Amino acid sequence: MTVVNDFTLEPLDWHPYVKPVDLSAATPEQLDALKVTPSNTKVSAYVLVLAQEAETLAERTPLFNDIMYSEGGLSRGGRELGALAASFVNHCVYCAAVHANRYIQLEKRPEVVDEIYRSGLDADLPEYDQALFNFGVDLTAHPDNVGVYQFYHLREKGLDDLEILDLIHSVAIFGWANRLMHTLGEPHRKD
Amino acid sequence: MSEQTTGDVIDSVLGLEAGSELKALREKREKLKALTQSSYLAALRPKEPRNFPYPLRAAIAARMSALWKADELAAHYRGLLEQEGSTAELLNVADSGWTPEDGQSRLAAILRHVDLVTLNPKAATRANIEALHAAGLDDRDIVTLAGLIAFVNYQILVVAGLKMLRDN
Repeated sequence: MTVVNDFTLEPLDWHPYVKPVDLSAATPEQLDALKVTPSNTKVSAYVLVLAQEAETLAERTPLFNDIMYSEGGLSRGGRELGALAASFVNHCVYCAAVHANRYIQLEKRPEVVDEIYRSGLDADLPEYDQALFNFGVDLTAHPDNVGVYQFYHLREKGLDDLEILDLIHSVAIFGWANRLMHTLGEPHRKD
Repeated sequence: MSEQTTGDVIDSVLGLEAGSELKALREKREKLKALTQSSYLAALRPKEPRNFPYPLRAAIAARMSALWKADELAAHYRGLLEQEGSTAELLNVADSGWTPEDGQSRLAAILRHVDLVTLNPKAATRANIEALHAAGLDDRDIVTLAGLIAFVNYQILVVAGLKMLRDN
């Protein structure tokens, strides 16, 4: 097994530090919470760990999906960029790999991700992407210091209220996800 | 349920009244808003609180809000703590500057984890989870604690972003 501590775009496995729920012994409430996850064929170790608290998982999965996939507002790619910024600040290597790859699939602009992987929080990006990325970094690193400066940077690049609302949530839900994924387990290179 | 846990907590801490522009904006994402509120209830007032009673949850949430200087949320959670049944020790827990005298206690281990994962999650390693095990937490306790920390930090970021929209 190879633990991965540095950011990578390679596919990774996630290995928990705590026991996942054993599917064959799962309670009806756990099974119900597990059912609503997008991967219907194989339940991931991550979701099986979270199923220890089924009541929370049952709310969290649809919340995550609505934040990342709802119609209208900020583009899907823009939301992935918010997720990626948060994951870089919080050093969630697994989250970053998943959402960087999703951004590339959606936007077909691997150069944006390449620059973030090269320069990290100092990434020098095209203006619009820079505004989204910087907001994700600032809100994640300093939620006590986000205000007029961040707001006008987003407005200047043409984001309307709903797009800003969607960006806030895509960053915030990774403040949540990173604090689970990065603290409850670690990424390994796929064998 | 009490006034602290009915209605929408985020609308309430931001003072968003009917007719407010920001409240109307939030309602464009009605499902997300409702699931944020139901996630709050699952984190703070779950059906089975098990080894994390409601007052302890409220006190830890107040502490995390104070760590990020999220004053409105800290006030909300101190109010919730009062309603759930506060004690001198839990009022200390809610104070982000306080640490237990006995650094080996279960509570001390929990609060060290809360403070680390709130302010500096990137520094968390396997050793931090081993420390929780050593302090007597079981696997489910660890997932419970992680879930509470993660939810309240989400809420802190949402409130910070919404305040930016409200005030500009």
